[in-house]
Amino acid sequence: MLEIAIGIILGCCALGAGTAMIAGIGPGIGEGNAVAKACEAIGRQPECKGDVTTTMLMGCAIAETTGLYALVIAILLIFVAPDLLVEVLKANI
Amino acid sequence: MTKPDNTIIKETKYIAIMIFIFSIIMELVFLILSKWDITVLYGNLLGALAMILNFYFMGIGVQKALGKDEKDAQKILKGSLSLRTFFLFVTVALGAWLKCFSTIAVIIPMFFPRIAVAMRPLWKSKNEGGMNS
Repeated sequence: MLEIAIGIILGCCALGAGTAMIAGIGPGIGEGNAVAKACEAIGRQPECKGDVTTTMLMGCAIAETTGLYALVIAILLIFVAPDLLVEVLKANI
Repeated sequence: MTKPDNTIIKETKYIAIMIFIFSIIMELVFLILSKWDITVLYGNLLGALAMILNFYFMGIGVQKALGKDEKDAQKILKGSLSLRTFFLFVTVALGAWLKCFSTIAVIIPMFFPRIAVAMRPLWKSKNEGGMNS
């Protein structure tokens, strides 16, 4: 019975980590769009390349944050949560 | 290999400085809470280095993408993001796996660039104010 419970915990943690990483799709699309528009802007006004690059770098860093949050959640679910949950389970049996 | 643009070097320097400052604050908080040991320092170094490299590689990706047309630029950035996410995953997994790194000290520096970017307008306006006066 204990093995089944541990298996369910590990499976749920893995599923949760995978589900959390869905959030990684957003930054990819967002950054891609930002760079595409920046290319357009630089094409129109090549003298603004420096300013556009700076603004875009900062924008990309912000866009990437959501992906990082998801990554952190996924890592915690993979590496930290299983041990903790199994310990809690064993303590309650 | 592409030679990095001056803008990228400048912004990476800014991010590195801010990460360094936030790392010191983090170490102090650990010290005050009496949770500090050498694993916190190692974890902090690993996390901070990974985030600085992540920002630098993002800049390189952006620089490469800027010379291309829209579709290619999107592809380059998506590829760059996937690679960097994998790199961060490996880094944090290493931090969580090896006992010589404190997991929490590896994870916390991942949020520093976001705070640094949020504080960017303050830094910029201060510098501009300094130049005007």
